[in-house]
Amino acid sequence: MSAAAITADGIDVRFLFDRYRRVITPTIARLRGHVTEAWGLQDVSFSIGPGEGVALIGPSGSGKTTLLRLLAGVLAPDGGRLVVQGQIGSLLSVKAGLLPTLTGRENAELLAVLGGLSRAEARSSIDRIREESRLGDAFERPVSAFSQGMRARLGFAVANQLEPSILLLDEVHEALDHEFRDEVDRVAQRILSQGGIVVAAGHDHAMLARLSTRALLLRGGRIEEDGEFASVRADYLNEP
Amino acid sequence: MTSASLFAELRSELNVLVTLAQADLRARYGRGGFRIVKWLLDPFALLGIYLILVTFVLDRPGTAPGLSLACAIVPFQLVMATVTNATGAIHARESIILNMKFDRSLIPAATVLTETVAFVASLSMIALMMIAYRVEPTPALVWYPAVFVVNVALAAGIAYPAALFGLWFRELRVFAISLVRAMFFLAPGLVPLAAASSTAESVLRFNPLTGLFEAYRDVFLFGTSPSAFDLLYPLGIGLVLLAVFVPVYRSEQAQFAKVVE
Repeated sequence: MSAAAITADGIDVRFLFDRYRRVITPTIARLRGHVTEAWGLQDVSFSIGPGEGVALIGPSGSGKTTLLRLLAGVLAPDGGRLVVQGQIGSLLSVKAGLLPTLTGRENAELLAVLGGLSRAEARSSIDRIREESRLGDAFERPVSAFSQGMRARLGFAVANQLEPSILLLDEVHEALDHEFRDEVDRVAQRILSQGGIVVAAGHDHAMLARLSTRALLLRGGRIEEDGEFASVRADYLNEP
Repeated sequence: MTSASLFAELRSELNVLVTLAQADLRARYGRGGFRIVKWLLDPFALLGIYLILVTFVLDRPGTAPGLSLACAIVPFQLVMATVTNATGAIHARESIILNMKFDRSLIPAATVLTETVAFVASLSMIALMMIAYRVEPTPALVWYPAVFVVNVALAAGIAYPAALFGLWFRELRVFAISLVRAMFFLAPGLVPLAAASSTAESVLRFNPLTGLFEAYRDVFLFGTSPSAFDLLYPLGIGLVLLAVFVPVYRSEQAQFAKVVE
């Protein structure tokens, strides 16, 4: 496993809105009047080293998901500098990156290739994904019939096949049943013990405590506190 | 970048491109042996009934009117289907765009590949029209690979602005599709260019579809070589569109995750 490291230096993410409060791109903003802006993240700096599990906590809309998307490369920062070293495995959306018209198998192949495997490698990993996702016969059915938990299991099983050194989990892992949460714990601990990084966001603090020793408290797109998990969590819960 | 790493990156991009198109085709044609039948019948369901009407029911003037029409609607179908697919392509992949990093500039390319695979089946309609009108294949058919490349290049050129349009003005998607459909009627789609007045002909020449339609007619109907202008003009338009819009698309792709949700 390659050495994992994340360094963020003054990163900003800006959202632009048109008069109907729809998000627009900067190109369109230049063409339209009545553009307003909001900062998803502002002047965020931190670094995460090998073997660190970090929880992102904070109220809804504080920037947790935006930060995870930045780390995954799904978004690019509008300002500042972000360096992410390591193979990323991510489970960031309720839809788990799955296309509803495709079967579990077809989605697994698509996501594995998008994640960096060759088509042959993706095909040869399908049986392992099927087994790890524990979807049984449902693996061959269209994902549109899957529950949220089933989608998360499939998405996580694919992410695990990419042998990530950085695991990024958004609240969606909270949709998992207890049995599969144990599997997430096991994979996360393995990644950490091998010098990888786990960054998880959510409101299930008991689960976050198992994955993390450190926490970043986000509020209004800024890091309000960065420290030991129990201490940051206590401060967050005690604040009005 | 070394040549080895460049080759590895190109191979990886090709992997993603083929897999995205394959996913599209699976969603469209389903699985198993029946998908080949569906692939072959799809163009007939879309266009075939119109051609049958023109060829066997309506008494239209001109040389092999059904074949002449097929030489316009078949290549137009590739352009039209690409635009239709591309305008919704980014939103259709919302779930993967929000979950993982990959080169989003492959999305319009994948729609072109998908529609090109679908388009190949519609060539059977031209063959059917040639049989119906007893038009024999001529050596001019050797020009078809070049005409095909021009057809795909024009579709690819339009795919990138179409994808951006669908992202920027999602509510105007239907309007964009209607606009492209109007381009068919601003080209010699229903009748060959020779049947148009000289004034109309000089105006219609500016439509890149004109050269494309005429090139198809030259190869399949008249058995002559297409003119250089008929090939180079739509090819040039396709390449100019790619040169302009691929960089714009690439600069916008980092914003997709903000907009699609």
